[in-house]
Amino acid sequence: MIVFFQSLLSGVLIGGVYALIGIGLTIIFGVMRIINFAHGDIMMIGMYLTYNLFAMAGIDPFLSIAITIPIMFVFGALLQKLFINRVLNALPQNQILLTIGLGLIMSNTMMLIYTSDYKILSTSYSSSSVKLFGISISEPLAISFVITAAITALLYWFFLKTDTGQAIRATAQDREAAQLMGINVKRMSIIAFGLGAALAGTAGALISPTYYIFPQIGSIFTLKAFVITVLGGMGSILGATLGGVIIGVAESMGAVYISSGWKDVVVFVLFLLVLLFKPAGLLGKSRM
Amino acid sequence: MAILEIKNVSKFFGGLAANADVSFEVAQGSIMGLIGPNGAGKTTLFNCITGYYEPSRGEVIFKGNRMNGLQPDRVCKLGMARTWQKVRPLAKMSVLDNVMVGALCRTNSLKAAREIAMEQLQVVRMDGKAAFLAGGLPIGERKKLEMARVLATKPELLLLDEVMGGLNQSESEEIVLLILDIKSRGITQMVIEHDMKTIMRISDRIVVLTSGEKLTEGTPQEVVSNQAVIDAYLGESHS
Amino acid sequence: MKDTSAKNVHGKAGFKSAEPIVTLLVLAGLALFPTLVSSPYSLHLMILLFLSIIMGQSWNIVGGYAGQYSVGHAAYFGAGAYTTMLLMQQWKIAPWYGVWAGMAVAVVVALVVGSICFRLRGPYFVLASIAVAEILRLSTMNLKDLTNGAEGILATEIPPLTIAGKVITDFSTKVPFYYIGLGLVVLTIVVTFLVQHSKLGYYFQAIREDQDAAHSLGINLTFHKNIALIVSALLTSLAGSFYAIYIGFIDPPTVLGLDISVQIVLICIIGGIGTIYGPVVGSLVLVPLSEALRSNIIAEAIFATGAVSPTSGVGVFLKENLAHAHALIYGVLVVVVILFMPDGVLGFVRKLTTKRKGERS
Repeated sequence: MIVFFQSLLSGVLIGGVYALIGIGLTIIFGVMRIINFAHGDIMMIGMYLTYNLFAMAGIDPFLSIAITIPIMFVFGALLQKLFINRVLNALPQNQILLTIGLGLIMSNTMMLIYTSDYKILSTSYSSSSVKLFGISISEPLAISFVITAAITALLYWFFLKTDTGQAIRATAQDREAAQLMGINVKRMSIIAFGLGAALAGTAGALISPTYYIFPQIGSIFTLKAFVITVLGGMGSILGATLGGVIIGVAESMGAVYISSGWKDVVVFVLFLLVLLFKPAGLLGKSRM
Repeated sequence: MAILEIKNVSKFFGGLAANADVSFEVAQGSIMGLIGPNGAGKTTLFNCITGYYEPSRGEVIFKGNRMNGLQPDRVCKLGMARTWQKVRPLAKMSVLDNVMVGALCRTNSLKAAREIAMEQLQVVRMDGKAAFLAGGLPIGERKKLEMARVLATKPELLLLDEVMGGLNQSESEEIVLLILDIKSRGITQMVIEHDMKTIMRISDRIVVLTSGEKLTEGTPQEVVSNQAVIDAYLGESHS
Repeated sequence: MKDTSAKNVHGKAGFKSAEPIVTLLVLAGLALFPTLVSSPYSLHLMILLFLSIIMGQSWNIVGGYAGQYSVGHAAYFGAGAYTTMLLMQQWKIAPWYGVWAGMAVAVVVALVVGSICFRLRGPYFVLASIAVAEILRLSTMNLKDLTNGAEGILATEIPPLTIAGKVITDFSTKVPFYYIGLGLVVLTIVVTFLVQHSKLGYYFQAIREDQDAAHSLGINLTFHKNIALIVSALLTSLAGSFYAIYIGFIDPPTVLGLDISVQIVLICIIGGIGTIYGPVVGSLVLVPLSEALRSNIIAEAIFATGAVSPTSGVGVFLKENLAHAHALIYGVLVVVVILFMPDGVLGFVRKLTTKRKGERS
């Protein structure tokens, strides 16, 4: 029973980080109807940023998000303005290919700079854990979950209470109607991509103490981000939050009860089942 | 004799009825006009008849066969073809290739398909543009291309969804003549059209839809003199 | 769409009539190539070029003609590679029987993918195709007893090809691979040509252009998409088998990875989809470029310009790392192509030449 709760809890903890990645992807999809295949690579850039801040300036990875978030926001906004903006009305496959290309450029540029060696960001608490009701919790995972929860709360506040947040939601619901209502859709798109990138970068920062850092790590996370957003319903922020936690738990349960090698298979099979039987996501109304 | 029978057809989306209990018959060789204000469920009805939607209730009977649940490709093979309100040319294929795709519904030979296609292009007077890319045509020619393409599938019943929408006077007139020409060849047609004068001129009978329901049915004369129609539809469009 | 303003697409009659002669000349040249050039590296480059054309041409049928952007073609490539290799290494079954088994496995995979993915459209189809390929890769990693897992399979010995007891070749040089590759290129091009000039080709393109319109014209969408996928999977599986036997080593990331799927798509996108020349042009652009990076020609060129000294820190760094980043060129190319030449290099060149003609007249 302890094992069950142990894996459930660590699943929820890592699921929180997945949720951040998923929310970023879903915001971008919602506002621009673009599936960002470079999402995991953007996260990877966040990881390297965190790694460098730690290795060069000694900044703690969890504190460094204060620097990572604005940098990644600008990075995402630039990507939107320079590239994505030009294919908003192109065929969906061309949009997908463009983001695949951007992802390849990111991962290979990082490989040029840092080689494909695995980097490890090891802090004093990287491998320590705390005990709670007999369940041991990895300390960095626990801290990252707390930060994730705080950011998610902030995001919800932003989307529900601020004008910009509401404008983004309106754009996501109906781009044309939003335009007619006088919302600056172009600006919302830039903000949305910046926000998506910032969230992915934050997720990268948060997992950097517990994951190996290498240039090709992005594609795995891109795929996971798809699974999360499709599960929650493309474009739904609440759905992505839930999807993240579900995938975290499914992985962690799969690792314990099947084997760690098969845990990703479990996730993809789940993904296909959702695509087939509930293409609008577990929560959502159909957007297809 | 009726080639098409619509029997109590309803189509629900969620709780909303886009079509509610619509019934009528289309006589062989005739032109049936289908009119009604925007959102009356005309295109939904076309979609129910041609297999894009399965009716929630009721039956669609074509040449004595129940059509419910048949896929659009089967519907086409059985001799019922449609055009689209918003034209759908196969943009990166030539005009001839577009029509050949339609013709291949009845033959496996490219040569035969090419012949059928050229014939149909002559019917719509576009044989001179056979080698042009469909995506680059102006709207009037796209509409004619679409007509040629459905004619190439050798239909017995043709459903035309606003084939004159967005056309100027002379282009519309050309389509009207085309529709009458098609009728003279014994092909039954069902026509959705907004322009009242045109629909009155070409239709043998007219069905009026409002809010998904059949308001009335009759000859053009009967329909124009029906007070309910004048209130519900004509009054609005003439204002 | 509007900028193509109804241009005449059958206007190159003179070019068309010269086509068979040019094709024959090129084929003759390619057939004679190994007798004129004996350097193994040149042959290797040509074989890589062939492989790329085969892969691109195969994808082109389902992606380029039928418009179903599969980003999971590694599944069929890997199915061919693994089946052939396993049969050869574990059960001593010669590859020329193994490829048939590989094709059979690929068809089974295609039927599964088709039944799942073709219910979905657009981005959902792309995602599903990726998911299936990933499930296959991860399963291959995990089924260690059968596939040797992440360690991969090394070909220790290729049995000589014999016909009626007579040894045709023992695969000791690259020449037999060259001719097999060339043969496969011809095969895929012939298949594509036949598809293009048949009812299937018309139906595939109609589905690509507008699924609903195609459906209304009597085209059974599911059936024809599946046919396109199966033909494509068969040919891709052949490419996988060929790769496995030629390179002599396979592991899950190199034959089943997302990279392979993406690379296959890029060959067509860069050249131009839905034409026979597209994958050829794409391969002619991609293979030399990525080989130049891999073999450090680019680094040498940078040194030759004198901008960076080979002995300086940056120089040493470039020399060591540029070779590993050869996939960078894929990324840059695809971004450039999508933004500036959405119809591929071929479409771009065609547009340029028609514009010129327009200016002259």
